[in-house]
Amino acid sequence: MRAVDVQGTFFTYDDGTEALAGIDFHVEEGEFVAILGSNGSGKTTLIQLLVGLLKAKSGQIVLSGREIGSLTAEELYQRVGLVFQNPNDQLFAATVEEDVAFGPRNLNLPEAEVQMRITEVLTAVAALPLRGRAIHHLSFGEQKRVSLAGVLAMRPAVLILDEPTAGLDPAGEAQMMQLLKKLNREERMTVILATHSVDMLPLFANRIYVLDHGRVLQQGPSEEIFCHQEMIVRAKLRLPYVSRLMYEMKRHDGVPIDGLPLTIGEARAQLLELIPKEMILPGIEEIGP
Amino acid sequence: MFDLFSDIFTYRENVMTRIDPRVKLLIALAALVSVVTSVRPVLPLGVFVLCLGTIAALRIPVKLVAIRLAAPFSTVAILVVLQTFVTGTTPLFTLTLGGWTLAAKAEGLRQGLLLGVRVLGALSIVLLLGITTPAHRIFQALRGFRISKEWVEIAILMYRYIFVLMDRVGDLAAAQRLRLGYTAPRRALTSLSALAGATVVHSFEQAGRTHDAMRLRGYRGTMPFGPLPALGRRERGLVALSVILIAAAYGFFEWGTRG
Repeated sequence: MRAVDVQGTFFTYDDGTEALAGIDFHVEEGEFVAILGSNGSGKTTLIQLLVGLLKAKSGQIVLSGREIGSLTAEELYQRVGLVFQNPNDQLFAATVEEDVAFGPRNLNLPEAEVQMRITEVLTAVAALPLRGRAIHHLSFGEQKRVSLAGVLAMRPAVLILDEPTAGLDPAGEAQMMQLLKKLNREERMTVILATHSVDMLPLFANRIYVLDHGRVLQQGPSEEIFCHQEMIVRAKLRLPYVSRLMYEMKRHDGVPIDGLPLTIGEARAQLLELIPKEMILPGIEEIGP
Repeated sequence: MFDLFSDIFTYRENVMTRIDPRVKLLIALAALVSVVTSVRPVLPLGVFVLCLGTIAALRIPVKLVAIRLAAPFSTVAILVVLQTFVTGTTPLFTLTLGGWTLAAKAEGLRQGLLLGVRVLGALSIVLLLGITTPAHRIFQALRGFRISKEWVEIAILMYRYIFVLMDRVGDLAAAQRLRLGYTAPRRALTSLSALAGATVVHSFEQAGRTHDAMRLRGYRGTMPFGPLPALGRRERGLVALSVILIAAAYGFFEWGTRG
């Protein structure tokens, strides 16, 4: 069943800005889908429509077989959860525990269940030791993880994240993406993330939607998306750095590279095939994927 | 700013931070009532010294205490001066300022000093409470005393967003300073007005985004709170003992030594 099905949806802001112009977007249950687009492409508008913060002017939005307008607030927010880009927008309680408990208590769950969910989600985001800490004492990376925990505590079927790695250092970025991958692969949670950061997507996303001026320019697996370079440029995006390097080597230096590697692992494998065996020194420390 | 708002000392492990916040709040309330209703300066002064002594024993940096007491001390100083020159009939001395002759009076000075020590005594109680109890524990205690949920909710949100707004205002002010926004008085005034305006706008935007985030987690106009454990015998005993001691001190200093 489709977790999310958006058809022919239009949205125009009150000032006349057309944010979405007849968008079609669908996500299967258990998929990891990225919405890629430059600033102003309509990513945030689309995710705000998916969680009911905005109402579409026309078109249809169906979540797990139910039209969004027919869902009560309780039903809707157990189907979709949104993690905001800036954790300060989302973390309003004084302590981590109180903030994570906010959603489950709004669902009128028994206190024992609330406590169980707090432990479960804080463990999932590797933030259990932060349980009693004040929110304003957390680092930005910790705040990001706690804001994710607050949404996970609602146990949504679909997790939507707006720029989940924005503002994180490389280690924090990798940790966040691994966390999302784990939720998707192990918990079978449907993940949709809006981003303009392209480097990590080929490692995690099953499919990518490229948005520009409120329209879907292209959708498909990463290897399909990044081979359409004109489209990538038109959407004001770029290739992952490793792909760009390989592309330039192929184009300007005539290095015979098959297709376009999207990850360091793929690029490494291709380069190793091209380098004469006698030049490769065994025993040198491995470079990660 | 950090010294004024920092709550890191409330998370230290010591005898004061271990006491249930409801107990501390009740004792503080009893002490406050005794201080503000006192008609002699001994009790408020004693409370002031006791609170500062406790703060010193907890090894709270003197600088932090001085910064937090700076504003109340200034208020007290103005209060004493005003009372001295405005109230009373028995002259102490006269001052001539710019052709004006001001007469200080004994009754005014006494009244000013009494008001001043009351203010200092009351503030030292609040200071000690604030230095030994995290804000969220105070909010919990307020819930325990059945203070309106809406009030507690607003207090929680205000407390949380003080730090966010402080960061934002700090960044904006730094950006203005780096572009010479505060190099002349007139320019500084303009920059300050712009900063104030931007802060209000940021607050509104922040409130909107936070409300959206709350709605997405099922907020329907009231923040849900978890249950509070009942006060134990030890805590109830501590409240009773403290209130008796405060009442005894009040009786002794206010009535016992009179006439």
